[in-house]
Amino acid sequence: MTMLLDVKNLRTWLRSGDGVVKAVDDVSFSIAPGETYCLVGESGSGKSVTALSIIQLLPQDIASHPGGEIWFDYRHDSGERERINLLDREIQVRRRIRGGRIGMIFQEPMTSLNPVFTVGEQLIEALRVHYPQLPGAEARERAIDALAQVQIPDPASRIDDYPHQLSGGQRQRVMIAMAMACEPDLLIADEPTTALDVTVQREILRLMRELQQRRGTSILFITHDFGVVSEMADRVGVMRHGKLVEEGAVDDMLRAPAHPYTRELLAALPENLRRERRGVVVPFAAAGASAPSPLLEIQDLKVHFPVRKGLFRRVVDHVRAVDGVSLDVNPGQIVALVGESGCGKTTLGRAVLRLEEPTGGSVRFDGQTVTGLSRQELKPFRRAMQIIFQDPVSSLNPRLNIATTLIEPMKVHGIGDSMDERIARAEEILQRVQLEPASLWRYPHEFSGGQRQRIGIARALVLDPRFVVCDEVTSALDVSVQAEILQILLKLRDEHGLSMLFISHDIGVVEYLSDVTAVMTEGRIVEMGPTSQVCGRPAHPYTRKLLAAVPRLRDRLAS
Amino acid sequence: MTDVAHMRSRSFSARIAREVLGAWGARIGLGWILLLAAVAVFAPFLASSHPLLLSEAGQIRSPVLAHLTTGDVMMLAAFFGVVLLWRVRTPLYRKGLILLGLVLLAGLAAGAWLKPPQIVIYEQYREAQRAGAYDWVLNTPIPYSPKDYLRDVGQSGLQGPLASDRHRHFMGTEENGADVLSRMIHASRIALGIGFVATGIAMVLGVIIGGLMGYFSGIADIIGMRLVEIFEAIPQLFLLLTFVAFFGRSLYIMMVIIGLTAWPGYARYVRAEYLKLRRQDYVQAAVASGIPLTSVLFRHILPNGVAPILVAASFGVASAIIAEAVLSFLGLGLVDDPSWGQMLSQAVKSSTFNWWMALFPGGAIFLTVLSYNLIGESMRDAIDPYLRKSGG
Repeated sequence: MTMLLDVKNLRTWLRSGDGVVKAVDDVSFSIAPGETYCLVGESGSGKSVTALSIIQLLPQDIASHPGGEIWFDYRHDSGERERINLLDREIQVRRRIRGGRIGMIFQEPMTSLNPVFTVGEQLIEALRVHYPQLPGAEARERAIDALAQVQIPDPASRIDDYPHQLSGGQRQRVMIAMAMACEPDLLIADEPTTALDVTVQREILRLMRELQQRRGTSILFITHDFGVVSEMADRVGVMRHGKLVEEGAVDDMLRAPAHPYTRELLAALPENLRRERRGVVVPFAAAGASAPSPLLEIQDLKVHFPVRKGLFRRVVDHVRAVDGVSLDVNPGQIVALVGESGCGKTTLGRAVLRLEEPTGGSVRFDGQTVTGLSRQELKPFRRAMQIIFQDPVSSLNPRLNIATTLIEPMKVHGIGDSMDERIARAEEILQRVQLEPASLWRYPHEFSGGQRQRIGIARALVLDPRFVVCDEVTSALDVSVQAEILQILLKLRDEHGLSMLFISHDIGVVEYLSDVTAVMTEGRIVEMGPTSQVCGRPAHPYTRKLLAAVPRLRDRLAS
Repeated sequence: MTDVAHMRSRSFSARIAREVLGAWGARIGLGWILLLAAVAVFAPFLASSHPLLLSEAGQIRSPVLAHLTTGDVMMLAAFFGVVLLWRVRTPLYRKGLILLGLVLLAGLAAGAWLKPPQIVIYEQYREAQRAGAYDWVLNTPIPYSPKDYLRDVGQSGLQGPLASDRHRHFMGTEENGADVLSRMIHASRIALGIGFVATGIAMVLGVIIGGLMGYFSGIADIIGMRLVEIFEAIPQLFLLLTFVAFFGRSLYIMMVIIGLTAWPGYARYVRAEYLKLRRQDYVQAAVASGIPLTSVLFRHILPNGVAPILVAASFGVASAIIAEAVLSFLGLGLVDDPSWGQMLSQAVKSSTFNWWMALFPGGAIFLTVLSYNLIGESMRDAIDPYLRKSGG
């Protein structure tokens, strides 16, 4: 059987400043017609650059191909087939292939559609490029048909919508419709579901599989998520530092990976992490007299954002981000707050720390009410309650070195008597999160994402807090780094009795880390209980739907 | 991909500085401003009727030093302070404080120790030299003070450049007979001073008001924005004219008024930056750590939002210089002190057109304003991500 795509010894070098980055270095693989090939790897492994090299979307002035061939089985409009090397074909042929025979879907559905054109205009434009003689009415017909194919409800009226009127999942469906409109032979999907919620991800993945089966399209699927791999792939290639370290059929790869790096990656998945529990394991306290008094009590907390309209900015409505949440966190307990984007979990975390002003309800910390306190009265609580953020890039001030970031809060709260003492303490805490003490004198941009996240944890720890809000702390990190961070957090809990409110959308991480899980949707908690119970025997239909949507390795391995 | 990301996150200020200095326009502009600053600082040593050194009956003395004023000493202290602190590795705000302390200290010391003569007699050294009282005399490169009207020479004013062989005036003389080049040199102090002080006042006000508006938003923002709109509606030039008419001609009043009317522009920029930055995680983390409000506002937010303010400031300096020149041209500027705009007005006052009175001060104003605009423009290009070369 002839392969649809045959990549041979591909090299892609990117010029960066004075040096050259070997982004793709001697990669060979092939994709058969109708097959799904998954490229897996951590950030910076060169998987996206490989895809962009195939579709020739890299900027000409910085990218070069010192070697390699990309053979593509080109189907002419007449139906005749010809094997051509995409790297040495003239630009007109490449352009006809790009979009016409090879379609592409990008990661970020929010920015890959042009906001000033309607969905239909963009779809028809994509069609027109490849079928210039298509009459207007027929083009519209085909566009509506394409939207129906990706299961957008009421496509005849949604075609005139602007991108902002669609949800993230619908936008990604439109992107798929655009990529599929010209019936390509190969679809390149670069992390198409990474920015989406799990339930939406599940639908998009199912849609892609259905379209593939109906049309016989081959898919080159790029992802970092082994759960998605296990749902989608026929064959898998693992990339690291621009090289393909291992490839094979998905079942063999997941069951018996040969290369040590693949084994490392699989072992770092939260569902494969072995949890060693030491110290006290605090049981979930059902409402009973014998329960220990909770460290943090949230009662009927509400955060409403006013919606203002008109000349005088009158309040016409409220967005109920958090709408009556009650939650307890016992000393030394890790409570996970799970939910999809927009469910209010981040707002809840911030409202607990009074970073967001609650509209109603109360937060009690160690028996004392925190809500309603003034800035000054709040100061002692600031020391005991800290927060760690999601984005390691924006959570550190780029203009301050690490020493200043860590020492200023200590100074404000009178921890340590002299500068030397505070520096010694900062060094000790950096060691606790496995960083060199010399990191103190460097600036945030000199660190990698995982290191920055550790500095973020160190900043929360310098004040010796008893309670920490972890807001999606691992979602911007690679799996192996995520595993390290999770272990640091667990160690802190076990050795220092730190309580945490762990906000996450990742069920795997929550299962690994937390004692108690609360499931949140539309500003309310729908189910709460010990993690094993909530994740094992979910009672609420929403929890069941959420859990069913999570792609897991073990489902594939069991089947 | 990581390497590209790493490059992008290289120290922001270092990258901006490199990009600004890489642009030719900014280099020329910066060169001219630095030249002007050096000339302004060393003006008494460049153009003065008092000799640098002279020997009288075997005793060496320096009349220039004896005539130094407190202002001269403070300027020199500021200059050497900047040169010394340039290479020292301390945070910028601390450098600023050290410099301010140094200048004030120098000013106090000079006020206490220096006793410049109350009545300055410019021609005394020339006359004494002619009478043969000195063994030797070392003059400044231009041996005329800006207010030395050469009464002993008895020439009429408004002579063209190098018109007389006996007294060489490279840029001619003005209507009272003073040397134009000397006045140009001393006028650069006013031009730079009014630019920096007026812009400084406007920036401090703008940063404080705009910062509070942006950080607190809500009611503070609404009130602040109305204040901004009110101040923006005041025509600067007419206010200046009115104040000059009521309170007389004072350089300091001019600086303050230009500063008071220019702050709304900065406030708008600062407000926008603060609105954006206050939701950043590192600011939230600072708040969650209980760090005091002033530190959050000025230490955690301001350095990250300062770039657009600096761009606006460099344009602001240029417009302040023009405002002063306009006032002086209209005859409402300083009375006796040299100023480029005032010299410009002399070009058209007499019946003849005195080209040297138009060309040299006019050229100086043009070059200075152009320089600030060039610097501002290349700074704006450097901080604008959309204008940056792709992949560079």
